[in-house]
Amino acid sequence: MRADWKRFLLILALGAAAGLAWNAWSGRGFTLSRSVFAQAGDEVVKPDQARVLHERGALFLDARPRDFWRMNRIPGALALPEDDFEKAYAEVEPQMRRAKAIVVYCSGFGCEASHIVARKLRERGLDAAILDEGLPAWQEAGLPVDEEARR
Amino acid sequence: MSFLHSPRLHLVLRLLVGGFFVFASLDKIASPPAFARVVYQWQVTGPVLSNVVAVTLPWVELLAGTLLILGVWKRESALVIALLLVVFLGAAGSVLARGIDVQNCGCTSLATTETSTSAWPPAWTKGVGWFLVTRNLLMLGAVLLVASAPARREERPAPLAERATA
Repeated sequence: MRADWKRFLLILALGAAAGLAWNAWSGRGFTLSRSVFAQAGDEVVKPDQARVLHERGALFLDARPRDFWRMNRIPGALALPEDDFEKAYAEVEPQMRRAKAIVVYCSGFGCEASHIVARKLRERGLDAAILDEGLPAWQEAGLPVDEEARR
Repeated sequence: MSFLHSPRLHLVLRLLVGGFFVFASLDKIASPPAFARVVYQWQVTGPVLSNVVAVTLPWVELLAGTLLILGVWKRESALVIALLLVVFLGAAGSVLARGIDVQNCGCTSLATTETSTSAWPPAWTKGVGWFLVTRNLLMLGAVLLVASAPARREERPAPLAERATA
């Protein structure tokens, strides 16, 4: 196999450059340095900031499907699943109205549920921060997870 | 010349694989954020690297696919596509090993089950599973065959006797 490796690299480099240029100037692109789920007005907190909020008594909300919340959760977190928002909202609204601060999380950077839930809360006059990269980031930071099964 | 090195076979393979890659790139180029959402589902790289992959990969696919169809730099474009297919297969293996349910691989279309009401193509062609792995292995074989084609007469170095008399 006689291939010209300079050409090989040139195809990769030209393709990548075209993609970056298209993203920057076509009007169809997005900001590469943050999650594509993030929108204007979203407040995103890192696990160490979330830990401080947790220690100060912030209310944590689990936006994953309820079965996941039943299996494990950040200690004290209540279930507010994005796929059953209206019903769950009615259940936890009193606690949210009393909370000093609210943090919403879901199952990682590939999960949009925490962003959607935080926006729905904002529409109802409740400010909620989003835990960046969700429960896996919390666990990777060595922070505690409640694994006692719930009904 | 064996059947595997037949120029006609290579032309058909180039048109099929190149055409597939050009087609696969168009939806992704039209909507970079939508493709980034699909890349996130794979959970192979973090969000920033996934973003970079989402904006650059479709253009590499488009360029390499176009060159392969045109027969320009065909060995090199075939090898670029081979590299992409190896990366896709590795990512698919990782997704399957971790048990992640990727309902739309984002291979050709970004339509999700929420946005698409069409029953065609069927769901088993869109997810990460045996269909995707088999298709990519077949395309990998095809592009490696194209890349390994013997050099054309004008590409070969002149025989020693000719060089001696030149």
